[in-house]
Amino acid sequence: MELFINLAINGVAMGMLIFLIASGLTLIFGLMSVLNFAHGGLFAWGAYSGVFFYVLLDNFWLGILLAIVTGILLGWITEFLIVRPVYGNHIRQILITLGFMLVLTEMLKVVFGPNIINAPTPEYLQGSWMIGDITIIKYRAFIIAVGLILFIVMYSVLRYSKVGLVVRAGVMNKEMIQALGVNIKKVFVIVFMVGSALAALGGALFAPSSGAIYAEMGMEFGIFAFIVVIIGGMGSIPGSLLAALLVGMANTFTAYYVPILSMVVTMLIMLVVLIFRPQGLFNVSGVSNK
Amino acid sequence: MIMQKLHKSTWIYFAIVFVLILLPFFKDDRWFLFLMIQIFVFAIFAMSYDLLLGYTGIVSFGHAMFFGIGAYSVAVTMNRMESTFPSFLLGVLVAVFASGIVAFLAGILTLKLKSHYYAMLTLALAGMFLYIAERWRSVTGGNDGFTFRIPELPGALQDHRNLVIYLFTLFMMVILFFGMKRLTESPLGRVLVGIRENDQRVESLGFRIMPYKVLISIISGVVAALAGVLYAISLRFVNTQVFDIEVTLDALLMTIIGGVGTLIGPIIGSAIINLSHHFLSDLANVHWIFQRWVILFGVIFILAMIFFPNGIVGTIKQKVEQRRMKRRILEVEKQEELDEGKKHA
Repeated sequence: MELFINLAINGVAMGMLIFLIASGLTLIFGLMSVLNFAHGGLFAWGAYSGVFFYVLLDNFWLGILLAIVTGILLGWITEFLIVRPVYGNHIRQILITLGFMLVLTEMLKVVFGPNIINAPTPEYLQGSWMIGDITIIKYRAFIIAVGLILFIVMYSVLRYSKVGLVVRAGVMNKEMIQALGVNIKKVFVIVFMVGSALAALGGALFAPSSGAIYAEMGMEFGIFAFIVVIIGGMGSIPGSLLAALLVGMANTFTAYYVPILSMVVTMLIMLVVLIFRPQGLFNVSGVSNK
Repeated sequence: MIMQKLHKSTWIYFAIVFVLILLPFFKDDRWFLFLMIQIFVFAIFAMSYDLLLGYTGIVSFGHAMFFGIGAYSVAVTMNRMESTFPSFLLGVLVAVFASGIVAFLAGILTLKLKSHYYAMLTLALAGMFLYIAERWRSVTGGNDGFTFRIPELPGALQDHRNLVIYLFTLFMMVILFFGMKRLTESPLGRVLVGIRENDQRVESLGFRIMPYKVLISIISGVVAALAGVLYAISLRFVNTQVFDIEVTLDALLMTIIGGVGTLIGPIIGSAIINLSHHFLSDLANVHWIFQRWVILFGVIFILAMIFFPNGIVGTIKQKVEQRRMKRRILEVEKQEELDEGKKHA
């Protein structure tokens, strides 16, 4: 039982990390229907810049803040240089953002060196609490807390604020929103930057929990994020959370019980969802998958 | 008029093939032969990719899995059985059927959905194949791979084995090129282009688009597997690298840079990419920036996507077409002037 609870906590923590990067993607994907395959690159850049500034300034929070700033800046560059010429053309979006992904990954190696870099954890987040036989690693609890807060903030902003109303309406009918006098292009840029910032934040928080970062992690987690968005249903924040938790749990449990399956379990979940519910677990009305 | 034009381009192709056949007799250098074989193999692979991307508008991120299936099918069969021609043929058959089945399954699962589903699913499947190949060590040899023997050729040919493989891959490339060209010019090919341009209109014309998409995904997968077969026998070695995402990316780059939807474009793209792989890795000793040549490729790729979305061949075709149109307009105008003159007279 203790083992089960421990594994579940690990799974939730991993799911929250995946949620952070997938939630940014579901915004970009859902509202703008932009297939940004460079999203994982922003995640990796967030991780690297977070570690870099943390080590440089010796302040964990400043590191995270500057990682978010990096994410916003890179998001702006991506939108302006890469995505803007190819709005509305999915195939060209896929191809061009994949090219940008390569550039981002290789640039990481140029700037920070090609080797694996150690990522430190601040002292007050090291160690673990023991409750009976249940071990709760502090950093994982921290990640779960951050993930939950972000989910609540994003969900309520989208659900109850005027900005959220515009964004949700934009998902359903872009032209109508434009006709009503909203500068949808500006909204697009801002949403893209927020999505990128979320990816960078995910990266910055991921680094200490894995202890080491490498340039190719962008690709790996980018794929994770896409799978989660597809499983959860495009543009749905609760769907992303649920799918991320599902993937995180499935990964942790299979890694412990059936290690051979751990690599393929995510793909298997996606396969099952694609066969039985191709629109994803939560379907936002107005967003089709055809 | 059209027949004449077709003849002209076909003659040019034949002339190039003729030069390529004669080439190794003048420059019998092992590395040169190897490089040319690589170009041919990847040209076949990129052409199969072009069938999907260029003619039907399907993006696959896991095309490497078909390449890998082909390479492993033939390598494992030859390794397990005696390396004779019948076992080679058996390996090819296994490659064709395995890749066909995988392409069929991936196709019926995702091709009725938006384009990124197929891209994602193929990416995931390729990842799974890579994982299986790494883990199933008893058969695949894991990451290290394994070498195998290819059947001995009769008589004096055995001494010129590389030359024979060169000619064989060239032959396969030419056959597959003309085969696929014929396919894309057939009514089937027209429907595929229609699906790429506007699938709803094609559907309203009474075509069911799913069978077409699945069919082309199978054909493309099988051709890619054949490229994998040729790759394996040209190296007489196979390892998990054949499933790598970089193999897919290479095909993507070759197709985009050469020109999507042209078939000859991927061949040119293959030559460019392979030659630059070759020379840029030499340059890596000169300056460290060349070690990170992927950046260069990424930037070229992005610029090509923005400014030359039609690639080399596509852009040239466009230019020629424009010039022809201009000339025709001038001719028509001249004719009209003449007519006007006659009227006045």
